[in-house]
Amino acid sequence: MAIDYAGARYAPRGELIEAHDDAFRQIGQAGTWWTGSERRAMVHEARNALGCALCRRRADALSPNDIEGEHDAVTTLPRAAIDVIHRIVTDPGRLTRAWFEHIRSKGLEATHYVELVSVVATSVIIDTLHRALDVEVPALPVAIAGEPSRVRQEDLIDEGAWVPISRRSDASPTATGLPADPNIRRAMSMVASAPALFFRAFMPHYRLRGLDFAISQGQAEFVASRVSALNQCFY
Amino acid sequence: MLLRASGEQMAEAIDFGAVMNSDRRIGIRWGTALNALVEALLSGDAAALRRCCEESEVEMGAEAVRDALVVAAAFNGITRVADATGIPLDEPTVTATKGLRAEIGIDRFDYAAKSDRYA
Repeated sequence: MAIDYAGARYAPRGELIEAHDDAFRQIGQAGTWWTGSERRAMVHEARNALGCALCRRRADALSPNDIEGEHDAVTTLPRAAIDVIHRIVTDPGRLTRAWFEHIRSKGLEATHYVELVSVVATSVIIDTLHRALDVEVPALPVAIAGEPSRVRQEDLIDEGAWVPISRRSDASPTATGLPADPNIRRAMSMVASAPALFFRAFMPHYRLRGLDFAISQGQAEFVASRVSALNQCFY
Repeated sequence: MLLRASGEQMAEAIDFGAVMNSDRRIGIRWGTALNALVEALLSGDAAALRRCCEESEVEMGAEAVRDALVVAAAFNGITRVADATGIPLDEPTVTATKGLRAEIGIDRFDYAAKSDRYA
C-alpha cells in the first residue's frame, strides 16, 4: 500500500486507510484534464507551498493581492496553476472571485482549475491526517502513464458559484435538512472525476448523521465548525 | 452550521459564539479539549499538537482524540473546496442558520464580502 499509517500515534480505521490509499493512487493516474505526472506534481507543489516565502509575505499582508512576486516553485506546472495551489494551501480563506477570474485570464481553463482543486484538497486531507497522527506524509504518488479522458460534462448551470455546476434533480431536503446532492457535492461537478476523487478520501472522515465515532455528532460538528472558522470559510 | 441542528438535540446550553471566538466555551462535553486539538493541528506546530494530544487523551481517551483529528483533517480539505469554488450555501441552510450566522459573525466570510475586502 502507498498509505498505511504505520507508526501513527493512533491507528485510523481500516476503511479510512483503504480510502486514502486508493485516492492517493488515483492522483497518480491521468484524470480528465491533467496527466498523472501533472497531478503528482500538484501534490509536490502543495507540500512545497508550506515553505514558500511569497506565501508567507502574503499571509502577513492585509490583502494577499497587495503583494507581487514569484512563488518558490518546485515543479514545471503552469504559473497560474502554481499560484492556485499555493493560495489554496496557504491562504484559502482569502480567495475571491476576482482572483479566480484573474487566474482564468492567465489561460487556466475552469475545467483544469476544478480538477486541480480536487487533487490539492484531497492531498490536504491526507497530509493533514498524517501530520495529525504524527507520522510522515507518504511519498508522492506514483505517476502512471496515460492521457486525460477530456470528457466534458453536459448541462452545467450557473448557480452563483465561480464555476458552472451540475443541475440538481431534486432540491427538497432529506432527513439531514440538506438536499440529497448538497452544493458542496456539486461544487466540482464540472469535472466528474473531481468530486469522485475528493469524496473517496473524505467520506470515511465524517457523516451528516449516524456518525459511529468515539465523539458525538455534536462534538464532530463543533470540530468541523472550528476548522471552518479558523480557515475563514463561509460554507 | 450543522452544529445548530446538533445543538438543538442536546440538553446543555450551547454558546455558538465559541465557534468564532475561542475565549468562549461551547458548552458541550470536551469542548475545550476539542477546540485545543483543532487549534494545535491547524497551527502546524507538531510539538504543540503532541502535547495537546497527550493532555486531551487524559480527558477524552485516545479514540476520541483520534476521531476529533479525523474530522478536523476532513474539514481542512473540504473548506478549501468551498473557498476555491465560491459555492453558495444550500437554501435550507441559508434559511435555518440566517440569524445564527449573523449573530456569531460568520457572515464576514461570505464570498462577496471577501471580494470587497481583498480586492
